[in-house]
Amino acid sequence: MICCKECIELLYSYLEGELSAENETALEDHFADCPPCIAFVNTYRSTTLLCKNTLKTNDIPDTVKIKLKEFVDKNKPDVL
Amino acid sequence: MEFPDPTKGTLTEEQLVKDLQAGEMGSFEQLANLYQKKIYTLSFNLTRNISDSQDVTQEVLLILFRKGHTFQGKSAFSSWVYRITINASYMKLRSRKKEPKVSIEDVLPAFNQGGFQYEKIQDWSENTESLLFGNETRNIIQKAVDLLPDKEKVVFILRDVEGLSSNKVGNILEISIPAVKSRLHRARLFLRKKLSNYFWEYKARKERK
Repeated sequence: MICCKECIELLYSYLEGELSAENETALEDHFADCPPCIAFVNTYRSTTLLCKNTLKTNDIPDTVKIKLKEFVDKNKPDVL
Repeated sequence: MEFPDPTKGTLTEEQLVKDLQAGEMGSFEQLANLYQKKIYTLSFNLTRNISDSQDVTQEVLLILFRKGHTFQGKSAFSSWVYRITINASYMKLRSRKKEPKVSIEDVLPAFNQGGFQYEKIQDWSENTESLLFGNETRNIIQKAVDLLPDKEKVVFILRDVEGLSSNKVGNILEISIPAVKSRLHRARLFLRKKLSNYFWEYKARKERK
């Protein structure tokens, strides 16, 4: 039976679907007996989602868009 | 204010690169439309500063305008754009006063001799919906990401936020795929711990009310 430490080491590959069948069974056997590790996986997954959803919404502010357009118009090379 | 939709009537990345290499100058505006959001958001996630990110976007666009035709095509064009954006963002960070970083080792899971975790693990994953768009949660998440060491932060942003493959991230940063995976795992563990502390406090605060 693997311990929590090994479980967390295997977590990344488990979620990527990269574990061998043997390791995957060992991990799932551990989960069946260890609610804290299930909570750990759930919160590990949620962390990725929360951070992605938060940081993805950083759009360019309109004032910067205007400045970038002016910059591009001024600096783009002349059409041949 | 309305801005042109960069996805409409634009060239594909492949065609754009061909035009650049052929010295087709008419494609520059489309090049800017196609890449400026990518450049700005990556730079903003690294520097967390609007003015720095605007400067970086302008510097990178200028490099693309002036040197785009010399692009060799050894890796994807977008990988090259990401790489120069990261370098320009790091230059900005270097010029700023350094803030003390938290050691990632202090935040990684700790185990007893039997391999059991010391942390009392609470499952907050079911309760994130109502918090997701709150300003407080947003600030906490941004601050937690800002505390990541640079090596882990850039991998986390490219892989989990931008959604690039491990292969592509390895190519951009010139590191091996196992290194990408290990840094990403460490970054996620760090952020999970920071968010757990926050949700723990949040719950305690609610219960006190």
